[in-house]
Amino acid sequence: MRIRIRRKRQKIQKLFLFTSTVYLCFLLFAALGSSYLTPHNPTTQNLDQRFLPPLTGGRILGTDDLGRDVWSRIVYGTRSLLIIGTVSVAIALTGGLLMGILSGAVGGIVDSFIMLLMDGILSFPTVLLAITVVSVLGYGLVQVTVALGIVFIPVFARLVRAETKSRLTEGYVESSRALGTPFPLILLRHVLPNMMPDLIAQSTVTFALVVVIEASLSFLGLGTQPPEPSWGLMLKESRNFLYQAPWMAIFPGIALAATVFSFNYLGDYLSEQLNPQR
Amino acid sequence: MKPMKFIFTVVLFSLLVPTLAFARGAKEQQPVRIALSGNPDTLDPQKTAGTLTFQVIKSLYDTLIEPDPKGNLVPALAERWEFRDEGKQILFYLRKGVTFHDGTPLTSKDVASTLRRIQDKNTGSPQAAEYSLIKGIETPDPLTVVLNLSSPSAPLLATLASGWSAILPAHLIEAGHDFGSKPVGTGPFKFKSWIRDNQILLEKNPSYWMPGKPRVQGVEFRIITERSIQVQGLLSGQLDVIDMYDAIDLPLLQKNPQVKVEKVLTSLVMVLAMNTSRPPLTDLRVRQAINFAIHKQEVLDVAYGGGIPVGTFMDASDPFYVDFTSLYPYNPEKAKQLLREAGVGTDQPLEMVLPQNYEPHVRAGQIYQEMLQRVGLSVKIRLVDWSTWISDVYRKANYDLTVIGHTGKLDPDSRLSNYGTDKTYVRWIHPEAASLITRARQTTHVEERKALYSRVLEIMAKEVPFVFVGTSYRYIGTRKSIEGFRIQPKLDAYDFRDVEVR
Repeated sequence: MRIRIRRKRQKIQKLFLFTSTVYLCFLLFAALGSSYLTPHNPTTQNLDQRFLPPLTGGRILGTDDLGRDVWSRIVYGTRSLLIIGTVSVAIALTGGLLMGILSGAVGGIVDSFIMLLMDGILSFPTVLLAITVVSVLGYGLVQVTVALGIVFIPVFARLVRAETKSRLTEGYVESSRALGTPFPLILLRHVLPNMMPDLIAQSTVTFALVVVIEASLSFLGLGTQPPEPSWGLMLKESRNFLYQAPWMAIFPGIALAATVFSFNYLGDYLSEQLNPQR
Repeated sequence: MKPMKFIFTVVLFSLLVPTLAFARGAKEQQPVRIALSGNPDTLDPQKTAGTLTFQVIKSLYDTLIEPDPKGNLVPALAERWEFRDEGKQILFYLRKGVTFHDGTPLTSKDVASTLRRIQDKNTGSPQAAEYSLIKGIETPDPLTVVLNLSSPSAPLLATLASGWSAILPAHLIEAGHDFGSKPVGTGPFKFKSWIRDNQILLEKNPSYWMPGKPRVQGVEFRIITERSIQVQGLLSGQLDVIDMYDAIDLPLLQKNPQVKVEKVLTSLVMVLAMNTSRPPLTDLRVRQAINFAIHKQEVLDVAYGGGIPVGTFMDASDPFYVDFTSLYPYNPEKAKQLLREAGVGTDQPLEMVLPQNYEPHVRAGQIYQEMLQRVGLSVKIRLVDWSTWISDVYRKANYDLTVIGHTGKLDPDSRLSNYGTDKTYVRWIHPEAASLITRARQTTHVEERKALYSRVLEIMAKEVPFVFVGTSYRYIGTRKSIEGFRIQPKLDAYDFRDVEVR
């Protein structure tokens, strides 16, 4: 009985995993080859074709309040989404690695200072902090990307610091040190590779968070500037037409939810699989 | 079983009928409930510039003269008035038997103290400048007020008919009364209570000077910021009146037989403003091309919930309005040709700055961008928050194109003053227009003013520092049982004096 349940669970897990991976591959494809997926330009307005419901007039997902194709806007929206996600995770990862290793390896007053700074950043609600950074840097795609990168540095920094500290006390590191291996090499050979699984998992989960916050910022009008397509902006624009054209909100909403779910699921799975201790 | 059922039904009905009767009786005693889109900053008429305040205080205070629904000035607290000394003196004869809510009778002293209070620097009225040309106020008898002016001014009458000029009782002014939270006036309703961010309650003033008015027991302003909640409130009968600036929810409201919707013109002029001090917009041909490229009716319908195109800087319902819409009809071919002549193409991108908190303007901006792209202009959109828009665009003119609506006031001067000089955000300089506007301000003769203003409007229509898009509609949704609700569009004030519950 138990085995059966376990098998069933594994089956569902595999199905989820498969779907998530396929969906994310599809996103990547949509971003790289947007024009293959849709014949319509995402910013072209057709004021005589406003509020077309899905599956009418050759529009799979209908049109919005300015007669723009909803499907095209979702497809093209993946570009800014993936760019913002990748770049800001890269910023957060790099920044976090530097801070974390410095903090963990040097210790002492440097450690205290960096961690104080990181805790300071962490104590702000993420969205609020992102809004503050964007207000200082100005509205737009680049600013939002940098803002989100900065906001997530502490998460990585804390993770890296903890890993560095614990690895440095392990037997194999100490013996390597006793053999006279230079310290930087120890970090590169023994410490870094061992924290890779955690970093990959954390990156994936952070990616999902970045996607949500980018959408929130665009919803507030701080992120992607109109008429460029962005899911958050689409949701913002749909808010006034919920009764009249619910599809304007439903489809970008589904796309966003599915993306976040897939990244989170994949992140959890990776952290389970890659971590040998669990 | 049958008789039992019969008796049961009878008992049930006899219980129900009085309840119904009671419910009807209760309904007539209920105040009229209207949605207010935000909390007013104060109820002191002199200390605000906020629309929300004026929407409420029209029911609490009166002015010497007031606009009728068409915008003509008619007697209110003053029965009649006359100009003397070539327009440098105005006499007001007050109505007899008017009392304030606290029972004291209205006299010329109240009028004098009110006007002195708004001129006083300590009051800090944002509108004080409009009253600065009143040099002396005399009160020869309790029902006559004489204003001595430094120069003749036609817009002053309109100023005295606006909400800022609401008459306050002199004895409370002297006592330093807080009109902001405990208003006392001569208006059709008395102030009862104000729960901040929730509701303002007014009750009928039984001794109002208009016989037989008001007809309802009171007014309840419910403060509801979200439009969709206002709409739901009206549909479910929680609200009697709502005031909407766009037509998005119209289909929903029209489906409900308990609700009616009235379409009225606003006093707004929706514009696409051009910074005429920045090339290539310094070139008249480019501004003309932009005018030819915009399909005005389409923008009004899609972005602003419908409206009437105007060809100049005056709203379509104003008595001073002149129709110049035939000058720049929608003609993209003409636009392309003019741009070719001017040698302007996509290599000179224009920046369109949009106030991101006004969704209709953001929507309109995207439509303009597309229409301009079709004639070969490249436009980049930048969203800014409202305070940035005011400081960067409106004050410093740091933009190429922007989208906004200009509200109207009772007198055309308030809309047109400063145009033609470098003090406006379009930086359009035209000495002739500027001097015509100044002359029109100092003329009290109506026909003469009309001639001067129509010349100004013609110059603006031809020189196009803006694309004058049009005057939009607003929609008043009321329950079927409510009759007689009015909005004075130029003052943006709600008038409940004629409201009846059927």
